[in-house]
Amino acid sequence: MIIDKVHKTLRVIQENGGWLNSLLKLYRYDTLKSGRLVGTDDYGNRYYENKEYFMGRDRWVEYADKVRLDYDGSQIPAEWYGWMHHKTDIPPTLRPPPKYKWLAQHTENMTGTSRQYVPYDTVPPKIQPWIPGKK
Amino acid sequence: MAALVRTLLRDKSHITAFGLRYVRTSSILQGQGEYIQVNQIPEKELMTREAIADRTAKLFFFEELVRGMMVTLGMIFKEPATINYPFEKGPLSPRFRGEHALRRYPSGEERCIACKLCEAICPAQAITIEAEERADGSRRTTRYDIDMTKCIYCGFCQEACPVDAIVEGPNFEYSTETHEELLYNKEKLLDNGDKWEPEIQANIRADYLYR
Repeated sequence: MIIDKVHKTLRVIQENGGWLNSLLKLYRYDTLKSGRLVGTDDYGNRYYENKEYFMGRDRWVEYADKVRLDYDGSQIPAEWYGWMHHKTDIPPTLRPPPKYKWLAQHTENMTGTSRQYVPYDTVPPKIQPWIPGKK
Repeated sequence: MAALVRTLLRDKSHITAFGLRYVRTSSILQGQGEYIQVNQIPEKELMTREAIADRTAKLFFFEELVRGMMVTLGMIFKEPATINYPFEKGPLSPRFRGEHALRRYPSGEERCIACKLCEAICPAQAITIEAEERADGSRRTTRYDIDMTKCIYCGFCQEACPVDAIVEGPNFEYSTETHEELLYNKEKLLDNGDKWEPEIQANIRADYLYR
């Protein structure tokens, strides 16, 4: 049984591209897995699948390299969201999502940054404040 | 208790007076005070040479500690039972009620017609709507505010909507650092709709038999 585990670990390390790359992936993704590359989205996130793992662990994403360690769960765009959450088995590479010209670019959760959402009124105020000294 | 019973049994006058009607002869009463040692090690064996050597060996080799650490070591090689969020995500229903969004028609025209049914049905009164006639004569909202901190995510608004405009989208990763970021206005809701439309459509398609 232990020999089997060692063999499997060595195979995963080999499929991840050697010891150095494996250590790097272990550092970034906290776990070392190998699977089939299902697709890549517009933002550089790579989606993998390996049915040997149980449901929930069998699909995973490697966030785009440009975000480095600032990965976040909200970086997965709407097209891949359903596949990632096991709502469907059909990835958007097989069934293309609808395209409209008014669709917006996906953004991650911007809270705590300078680009966070700030609420504002979409109607003019109904009450005019009295400013002292002004006629 | 046993002593009391024995006294009762020995008391011949008591038995002759009432017979054996009041003192039942069960196995407990018949016992003469013998007992069985259920502990594994009788006390006298604990001081044998082997027992002392065994105990000393256990003490010197930290047997309990080593055993515990072996269990820990074994768990390292087991497949973990948890998922590695955010790289792996748990399963979600198409009916999941998350962050709200205002949808558009494929032409790009916003769906909401300001009927205010969602505002009326909202049990938490989280929705505020103001409507006006637009330049082309159609009735649209000028203000569509949802206080996400009041919202209880019951989904009544999307059930009430006659044009499928307000929906509770699939997104649940919109936690914020401040309260004001959760006071959504119309622009934010429409932007959510534009971002999540592919997934909202997929959810509606998955549930079409029940709609």
